[in-house]
Amino acid sequence: MQRIMLYVEDTPGMATAAAWALRLARDMSCRVFALSVVDPDAPRRRDTQTSDAEERAWSQLYEVEDDAFQKNVRISLLLETGDPLPKLIGLSTSYDAELIVASADCRLTCSELVRQSNRPVVFVK
Amino acid sequence: MAKISELLPRSAIVLNLQSKEKFEVIGELVRPLVATGAITEESEFVSAIVRRENMESTGIGVGVAIPHARTKAVSSIVLAFGRSDSGVDFNSLDGKPSHLIFLIAAPEEQKTEYIMTLARLSKLLRKDEVRIGLNKAGSSDDVLRVIVQHES
Repeated sequence: MQRIMLYVEDTPGMATAAAWALRLARDMSCRVFALSVVDPDAPRRRDTQTSDAEERAWSQLYEVEDDAFQKNVRISLLLETGDPLPKLIGLSTSYDAELIVASADCRLTCSELVRQSNRPVVFVK
Repeated sequence: MAKISELLPRSAIVLNLQSKEKFEVIGELVRPLVATGAITEESEFVSAIVRRENMESTGIGVGVAIPHARTKAVSSIVLAFGRSDSGVDFNSLDGKPSHLIFLIAAPEEQKTEYIMTLARLSKLLRKDEVRIGLNKAGSSDDVLRVIVQHES
């Protein structure tokens, strides 16, 4: 295995999922693509804007990047806007990721991701 | 937390980068930050930047690269900006050369501020109007004006 797609989202379980993916990547000398998707249609607090969501998404990506750097794991950051599920599936194919890793508490519908993706998926709890 | 415009000294704005290769460009941007005193150990900082560049792409696409490092060789968070007409290969995932290059230097212990600065700068530079403004800027003051105008 050479490439892992890590789906990054603002959930309590994200740090555990990222740590698991980075450990696997380090052990297998893989490259990680960390993807965050800003969904403009997602319900959010009335006092927050899409631009705030984008800033939060970048900060989560850079947190993962900083951890990857400390662990000597090669990483590329991707930030997209749109519907997260098709973006994740499409980019996993584009970048030829051999494994998708997401947190078990992510907002994606897990069964839909497994059903629609033609790559193995690991949900980390 | 300081704004992007407050972290970018006028003296660290290089509107006509001479170098064509990314590590030479980084050197061009590091020098003015050494002169300000924000980078206290040039060789240590450059080593950290080179190590990161060798591990990952800091080109975020759309003609923008943000080389960055957090090390003990830096006394306070500081930015440098360079513009290259010909573009520089920062191994961006979109395969395009980078024309707008922001370098971020941060002290080892300021992780939160460093991450937030990276996030805010990345968000800012994804705006078409910011990139157009920076590409058109004729002076350091113009660059700062564009950033101030679009910083929330």
